[in-house]
Amino acid sequence: MSQTAPVSVAPAVVPHPERWGRKARLGIAFCSPLILIFLFLVIYPMLYEIYLGLDWDIYTSIFSDPIFIQTLWNTVIFVGLAVNIKMVLALTLSSLFSTDHRFTKILGGIFLLPWAIPSLPGILAFRWMLNGQWGIVNKILNDFGFEGYPWLVRRPTALAAAITYHIWKYLPFWTLIFVAGRRGIPKELYEAGDIDGTSPFQKFRYITFPMLRNLYLICILLSMVFTLGDFVIIKIMTGGAPGDSTHVLSTLAYRYTFQMGKIDWGVGTFLTALPVTLLFIFILIRKVK
Amino acid sequence: MKRSVRCYVPWVIAICLSLALTGPGLGGVAYAKDKLVVWWNKGYYKEEDEGMQKVAAEFAKQNNVDVELTFTIQDDLGPKIISALIAHRVPDVAFCFFTDWQIAPKFAWEGQLADVSDLIKDLKPRYLESHLKTAWMYNKTAKKWSYYSVPIEAQALGSHYWKDMVQEAGFDPDPKKIPMTWNEYWGFWKKVQDSLRKKDPAKYGKVYGIGMTSSSRSTDTFYNFEQYLLAYHGEVLSPEGKVIASEAKNREAIIKTLTFFTSIYSEGYVPPDALTWTDADNNVNFANKTVVMTPNPSISIPGAQFFTNKDNYYNKIGSILQPTSPVDGKAYPYLVSVKPIIIPKDSKMQGLAKKFIKYVLEPKNFTAYVTASNGRWFPSFKDVAADPFFTNPKDPHVPVATDQHLNYPTRPFYYSYHPAYSQVYTENVWGKAMSRVVTEKWTNEKAADEAIDRIQTIFKGWK
Repeated sequence: MSQTAPVSVAPAVVPHPERWGRKARLGIAFCSPLILIFLFLVIYPMLYEIYLGLDWDIYTSIFSDPIFIQTLWNTVIFVGLAVNIKMVLALTLSSLFSTDHRFTKILGGIFLLPWAIPSLPGILAFRWMLNGQWGIVNKILNDFGFEGYPWLVRRPTALAAAITYHIWKYLPFWTLIFVAGRRGIPKELYEAGDIDGTSPFQKFRYITFPMLRNLYLICILLSMVFTLGDFVIIKIMTGGAPGDSTHVLSTLAYRYTFQMGKIDWGVGTFLTALPVTLLFIFILIRKVK
Repeated sequence: MKRSVRCYVPWVIAICLSLALTGPGLGGVAYAKDKLVVWWNKGYYKEEDEGMQKVAAEFAKQNNVDVELTFTIQDDLGPKIISALIAHRVPDVAFCFFTDWQIAPKFAWEGQLADVSDLIKDLKPRYLESHLKTAWMYNKTAKKWSYYSVPIEAQALGSHYWKDMVQEAGFDPDPKKIPMTWNEYWGFWKKVQDSLRKKDPAKYGKVYGIGMTSSSRSTDTFYNFEQYLLAYHGEVLSPEGKVIASEAKNREAIIKTLTFFTSIYSEGYVPPDALTWTDADNNVNFANKTVVMTPNPSISIPGAQFFTNKDNYYNKIGSILQPTSPVDGKAYPYLVSVKPIIIPKDSKMQGLAKKFIKYVLEPKNFTAYVTASNGRWFPSFKDVAADPFFTNPKDPHVPVATDQHLNYPTRPFYYSYHPAYSQVYTENVWGKAMSRVVTEKWTNEKAADEAIDRIQTIFKGWK
């Protein structure tokens, strides 16, 4: 029996780009300004903020503030209601604006106006309209024989006013996103549905929503992150009044930092929301992948 | 022939050296003038800003320095100064209408303001005593009391009313005819409202007699409450800065003061939205004639009419002081909110900054500046207050404020006794207490106790 000597086969040489080759180095060089800016303006402040927030006494102090827990709840209510109502409406309205009718195109243009109006005059206009004494909302109610109501003087209606403004302002933007999403759904799916005799609701349930599900989730998460940091609406609309009962975390953090000079309290306030924000961002990144 | 980069190196070095040695004019560093960075509160009238620009320009010329003077409104300037102090990147001179309560007490306490005792020593003979008291603050790091700010002007609580509306209601609008005892005074404005509404419900149905700011978002609320707390003989702090609000006499006075505020609101003599007013809203409501009378901590309300409607200023708006105490029928001290200039300790130009402040406060310069505010601010200096502008008999408003500052007892706010009170002020505990009673239906006692507890908790945090 002949024996053959084992032949050592050299592994095939696969051309592998050098990890830090010229192209990679060039790429890094081009990206380096952005990387530096990111490190300097995002990573460093964030780490510094976490460093400032490591002192446990901060949380003892801010939780001893009688308005802090209510502020946390206000934030949950403001973000939860404003974002979800807005998204459901946006998804619904996107159906209308997806049609090719001339009328909807004109209407779409008008519908976008709130988004184009600067925040400050918009909020002030809302505030004046809701004035209990001479606001137009109460004037209309009075004209129809109803009693006026001090809208911004009661916590539930003051928060509702802020939520309403948020929806009015940002609904057009998110509707536009969903319109774009709907345009990406192949028409053949709807044609097949027509052949099968599906109702409009069934089309939404079995075609539109499944196709938009990921987009919807991404939009919700993005909007929640934006809304958590929204400072202007509450600051201008209610300023925390009546009796500091309508603050959200961003307005309270502003007060701690820039009116009391307690930067650590301000940081602590934001850090209480950080786990939730990071969770949103984590889910977002996974979904986008 | 391709030349090496190296052959350019000597040239580059030579050019750099020659620029460094001979080109200060080009580089602009070696012989640059000293620069003073001044952050100043934007005035309510352009004449105020112009006055300050003129003074700064003259100072720059006389001293051969640059003065970088910027104006910012107080709502933005307060946070800007606080941010600068936290970051230790500061202006050399800062003046903001919020400094007295939001900035000076806290940052003097933390040792971040320059000691200005030398400057105050020179100015001391000119000062009104109660104004100067506000600059005497404690520095926790240096463990000493000293002067850490330079008071320049102040405001105190007055009241303004529409004479024509009072007349329309069937009462004599002459300021001397307004009853000035506590119950009669407030009763008078209630009667004016009732009478107007009865006379013409369509026109006056939504007009209120008393424009009392009662909001947690307005500093006026705090001002009103603490002024009327003095009327009820209540004290929150002792002169040594100890919380004494919970002592029986003071707690009772706090409850009575709170009851007074919540009663006039609940009885319908204060606009419902007063619970959400900002500092500007009583001015706006008064200007719109939706309130007949409003207490205000400066004479900005008639002042705003001076440039736009002389008839309103001279004939239709009246200015009066506060009614006598409900306890003993006597006068009580007026609280003065004194606005100071500060020099941050991190400033590299402290000497020049002091020189600048001294120049601004020279009687001629400061009189021009403070009178440009049309009486909104009362000067902290006796010589400036002696200017005929402040006692002009033809003016129906400015002499009222002058009388208040010079002929009545005045005293500073509690944040001059202890810096922790600046936090109490920012948290607006009294505005919150009013809201607790009105919107959440708490009793006045419970809301007052919550406010007192909060004050005590805040003070425990300032060790």
